[in-house]
Amino acid sequence: MMYYVLLPFLAVLLVVAQSKLAEILFSGLVTLELSLIVVIYAGFRLDLWKGAALSFVVGLAMDCLSGSVLGLFTLLYVFIFLFAWVVSSHIDSERLYLIAGFSLICSLAESLVLVLLYQWVFAFDMVDKILTVLVPQTLLVSVLSACFFYAMRTVERLLTYE
Amino acid sequence: MFFKNYRAVIFVGAVILAALSLFSYGLKYDAGQSLLQRLAMGAAAPVQKLVTLCVESVENAWTRYVRLVGLEEENRKLRGAIGELEAQLTLYRQGYLEAQRLQALLSMEEREPYRFLAARVIGREQAALSKTLWIDKGQAHGLKPGMPVMALPGLIGRLTNVSWHSARVQLLIDEGSSVDVLVERTRQQGMLRGAGSRGCVVRYISKIQDVREGDVILTSGLSNIFPKGLLVGKVVHTDRADAGMFLNIRVAPFADFTSLEEVLVLAGEKKDPFRERKAAR
Repeated sequence: MMYYVLLPFLAVLLVVAQSKLAEILFSGLVTLELSLIVVIYAGFRLDLWKGAALSFVVGLAMDCLSGSVLGLFTLLYVFIFLFAWVVSSHIDSERLYLIAGFSLICSLAESLVLVLLYQWVFAFDMVDKILTVLVPQTLLVSVLSACFFYAMRTVERLLTYE
Repeated sequence: MFFKNYRAVIFVGAVILAALSLFSYGLKYDAGQSLLQRLAMGAAAPVQKLVTLCVESVENAWTRYVRLVGLEEENRKLRGAIGELEAQLTLYRQGYLEAQRLQALLSMEEREPYRFLAARVIGREQAALSKTLWIDKGQAHGLKPGMPVMALPGLIGRLTNVSWHSARVQLLIDEGSSVDVLVERTRQQGMLRGAGSRGCVVRYISKIQDVREGDVILTSGLSNIFPKGLLVGKVVHTDRADAGMFLNIRVAPFADFTSLEEVLVLAGEKKDPFRERKAAR
């Protein structure tokens, strides 16, 4: 129960922290999407209930705080979580290169959806940002997700030994 | 039973439906003023403040650290610069003092009717029985044994050994030194002998003569070694209590032998063009 109570606050903290980190590290040029990594991790490690709740809440926090269309990231994160949850039974999460590849696909898909949506719905041309922003962003997510999974695995092992 | 079997599917469907509803609502009505957004922003504001505070603290600490590193580097450079400047200053000070000494020597050279040769002191020998200096000029520069050597304000000794490029100066306080002198006030003549650390003593002046402390001693010019009238020293003590016929007179030389760095060797009289023309006629 505590998980569901703390989840909104932690989601807000995560979104705020990632935007601040991106501002410090990349001067706001690239979005550091730690929330996406967390959602993918939830797809591999959490059960359906907790993971779906997490992806919904984190997506909602992203929507509310990033200034995007309400529900856009919520929907995207829920789908990515479900995709990861389905794939998790076929991919060994211990193999970090697979995780990195999977994260790359998810991030690319997310970027593609964002570009197409903004193109069609808002007639907002984001094509010129694909190479300069979105590709580095997906690569970053890919590398960081492998690091995140490795770190979480270490933490899990430490907790298990204790 | 149905809900129990398909609750996962129902839950996922509900979540997707909720997300879709939100998205469709967002697309149609969202102007950034929805209740959800306001709630999220209200919750995020303190977190944002806290995170910003933490980041700023870290940034400030880092900036201070970087500045400190810069200061340390700057401090090191400045210390180096100070060392170099101090070395330069010492060099300039030495040059200034040397210039002052040389100027004083030059003024003496201009004042006296003699031809001088300036030399630098390159060594000293202050043994018990020998008080001498080494200078950096010698036979190659026209120096000969016996030439008087002067430093401000007067005589300090004479050349004893002259090699090709250096010479030894026997100081007035050397035990073996003897100079014909006279008392400036009374014109009484005597013999000045070196007395080591006690300075000099004047001998062969009768007890009946009037010699007082403070009297100036000059060269008498009798021996043809030292020209007449060179300043030698000042009487610091006279004693008539001895049993002998002569006064016991102690003289302190004018020159400070311990701090001599440059000296003038008296190489002869200056050529007087008027006198030369007269002699030629």
